[in-house]
Amino acid sequence: MLLYIIKRILYMIPTLILISILVFFLIELPPGDFFESYVNELLAAGETIDPKHIEYLREEYGFDRPLWERYLKWAGGLLVGDLGFSFEYELPVREVIGDRLIFTIIVTFFTIIFTWLIAFPIGIYSATHQYSWGDYGLTFLGLLGLATPNFLLALIMMYLANQWFGTAIGGLVDPEYIDKPFSLEKFLSVLEHIWIPVIVIGTSGTAAMIRRVRANLLDELRKPYVTTARAKGVPEFKGLIKYPFRMSLNFFIADIGSILPQVISGAEVVAIVLSLETTGPLLIQALQSQDMYLAGSFLMLLGFLTVIGVLISDIALAFLDPRIRLQGGVSR
Amino acid sequence: MRVNLAGQFIRLCVSCLFMLGIAAGSWASEVPFFEDKVARGELPSVKQRLPYVPFVVDFEAEGKKIGKYGGEMNLLMGKAKDIGQMTVYSYARVVGYAPDYSIQPDIVRSFDVKEGREFTFHLRPGHRWSDGYPLTSEDFRYFWEDIIKHPELGRKGVPSELLVDGEEPIFEVIDALTFRYTWRKPNPAFLPSLAKPSPLYIYRPAHYLKQFHEKYADKAELDALVEAMNVKDWMSVHTRLQRQRRPENPDLPTLQAWRNTTKPPSTRFIFERNPFYHRVDTLGRQLPYIDKVIMSIVSKEVIPAKTGTGESDLQARYLRFDSVPFLIQGEEKGNYKTHLWSLGKGSQIALFPNLNTNKPQWRDLVRDVRFRRALSLAINREEINEAIYFGLASPSANTVMPESRLYKAEYADMWTEFNRVKANELLDEIGLTERALDGTRLLPNGERLEITIESAGESTEETDVLELIADHYREIGVKIFVRASQRDIFRRRAYSGDTVLSVFNGLDNAIPSAQMSPKELAPTAQPQLQWPKWGQYVETNAKAGEPIDLDGAGKQLQLYTSWMEATSYESKKEIWHQMLKNYADNVFSIGTVNNSRQPVVVSKDLRNVPENGIYAWDPTSYFGIYKPDTFWFDR
Repeated sequence: MLLYIIKRILYMIPTLILISILVFFLIELPPGDFFESYVNELLAAGETIDPKHIEYLREEYGFDRPLWERYLKWAGGLLVGDLGFSFEYELPVREVIGDRLIFTIIVTFFTIIFTWLIAFPIGIYSATHQYSWGDYGLTFLGLLGLATPNFLLALIMMYLANQWFGTAIGGLVDPEYIDKPFSLEKFLSVLEHIWIPVIVIGTSGTAAMIRRVRANLLDELRKPYVTTARAKGVPEFKGLIKYPFRMSLNFFIADIGSILPQVISGAEVVAIVLSLETTGPLLIQALQSQDMYLAGSFLMLLGFLTVIGVLISDIALAFLDPRIRLQGGVSR
Repeated sequence: MRVNLAGQFIRLCVSCLFMLGIAAGSWASEVPFFEDKVARGELPSVKQRLPYVPFVVDFEAEGKKIGKYGGEMNLLMGKAKDIGQMTVYSYARVVGYAPDYSIQPDIVRSFDVKEGREFTFHLRPGHRWSDGYPLTSEDFRYFWEDIIKHPELGRKGVPSELLVDGEEPIFEVIDALTFRYTWRKPNPAFLPSLAKPSPLYIYRPAHYLKQFHEKYADKAELDALVEAMNVKDWMSVHTRLQRQRRPENPDLPTLQAWRNTTKPPSTRFIFERNPFYHRVDTLGRQLPYIDKVIMSIVSKEVIPAKTGTGESDLQARYLRFDSVPFLIQGEEKGNYKTHLWSLGKGSQIALFPNLNTNKPQWRDLVRDVRFRRALSLAINREEINEAIYFGLASPSANTVMPESRLYKAEYADMWTEFNRVKANELLDEIGLTERALDGTRLLPNGERLEITIESAGESTEETDVLELIADHYREIGVKIFVRASQRDIFRRRAYSGDTVLSVFNGLDNAIPSAQMSPKELAPTAQPQLQWPKWGQYVETNAKAGEPIDLDGAGKQLQLYTSWMEATSYESKKEIWHQMLKNYADNVFSIGTVNNSRQPVVVSKDLRNVPENGIYAWDPTSYFGIYKPDTFWFDR
């Protein structure tokens, strides 16, 4: 087992290098660079700019160097935890992202809890009452949530919240709490705002979750051990939760790999519509303005978390479910 | 010693003035916001904080009412970068534009210009930075000698506004409050560049910045700072801490009406009144009236919605004409009014035939003035105005607006009447008489006269107007397609000559005075979509681009050069008129309508905001020349 883990960790190194190369060159791929988009943005606003100044900026930030040299510098920085410099904010990337990370984690945490709270009971109900009206009805509701465009739902809910409850439009806290340390009032203000993004982002994830719980549970319910348990007189609910439900959770553990990066990226489009101070809008803006290092380092962070997440879920699966064998066939 | 004596003499005179002032009214009463601080002795009284000769805003002439102190003004911005708008709005400049767009002293008390090449500035005695340190010639010397002329800090060279034919000025400090720039030839671009919304800052708070400059600072301390800020050298420290346009450094002393107190990154920037600000109202009370300006950074998509619920006290940025019905609907509940200001662009949407296109058959065509005129005559501007702008805009060529003293109706009307017959005649005259079955004209080589109009894809308004124009052009046998791309790609294609016809907004400054540069009318810069290669050629001193080989355009450049050398107001005006006329006659860009509207949402409690204004970057600095320091809350 230990050997397996070590091997997996070693595999991560080339994977990450590959990711970093892909990220860097994909961002570089579109024509132009940050300074060109910067100039064009100024032109669109009617400003003029001294071409000399742009030349100087390019030089100052090392854009006169060849691509591979810039890549090595950036990647080298990443190794020692230096995420580079954001041109747009004129601040180190670490400072720009750091500030928003907390809010992103809060939103995602609540969203995941929300999704689970809704999806598990419905999934279990649908599986145990397969093809009943309840099954169809609830599945329909879940699919409706999946099919409604998130941004539209966000707009409508934001408008209604403003009309009915007078909640300020957009944002995660009332303006007066921004940049204040966390306090009870601030937390309450966050709660007042957070339910909208949680519901909006949550509804889209719920349907998929319901279907997966249902399918996995159905597989288990048909197995002989369930019949045996029933025959032995195990109460229906206990017989459901204790064995088949637990067995059906494998997919759930395999999901951890994707949850980890999700926790810090948040839902981008919804976050823009709702003007959330999360990392999603930051990433999109950075990509649009070709703010190289901000976008690159952030994507790299996501890549790293994905790799770690997959590793964790693989190890957890191996531990939790003895049926999953390591190194195909060795212990068969 | 002598300087000291002189200073004392001035003080004496000024205190006499003060006495008169007190007799006349409530001269320089204390600002309530600072009362406590003054009482505790943390801040000198307002009398000592104001320059001896403050800038007295002429309330009567500007139609403003004397206001009350206090309040917080909320603004919404879409990007962290937008905190730069604060220096655009508050608009304290060395010299700035007066309401009639003439240049007047602002931070300086006065200036003298000799032969258009020698500029002497006199500072206001007793004028102080926001931290209370006196503003002197040293601050200007610091910029010139220790930044621009510093071998390393000044690597990027002397700003182009300070160069005449590549030659830099001689800078002299005359005394503590007087300094002079001298060129060998006239430099008409100098004063306007100081008055611009994003001006050339020729001063820096020397007393503050010296601690980050290798020449003055202790090396060990500076090295420690470089280490702490994790940057490569002391110059990065200096550059980062001295930014004027984006007031990111809360410790940086400023001369603007409000100073930033929030360190980025943040989504809420709080600007507090500058205790040493140099402007007063007619009663001699120190401006600004409003204590704090709060700038919230939200995503720009929600700004119209947020404004509609009254979350902004003064908003125009990120609002568009299409949200007006929504904004008006929310007025009652949101306690605001929606004013419609006019947009100060030469044309809201203009077409630019690319005279540098690298497709030979098209180049000959767009260089034929008859073709450009035909394209202009075929547009039904009335219809565009009615259909898209509710009839509120004015049909016009891409030229100056009536608000400009250089306006003549003939410039706006030249080749803009809707005349399909004449347009068709002109095209026939060029020899485009063959037509395909559907009526589209054929080029001499048999190709169909189908043009792709390239757009930066920034607004649906553009697409709507182009749809109408496509209909108009079909009637004269010209078929157009619209290709919306993205800003950067749009520019690249135009610069390289892949574009034949592009669409963008017209002249950026449509209310110029003769003192402002007629740069936009001549090939002078690459971003000019009708002649990017010629512009680049001129801009780079023939290092890149192509030489001008079209008479009309060459004439514009010649006129521009003679404007640069002209010293008298009259001759400058004369040159402007010639350029405007030549530009209109040659139809170098095809205008549609101008004077279209910009919604400006103003809190019902906010006073002194004009109901009708011009919303433009240059020369009005958006709200800048309407003096937001005189706005106040009637609550």
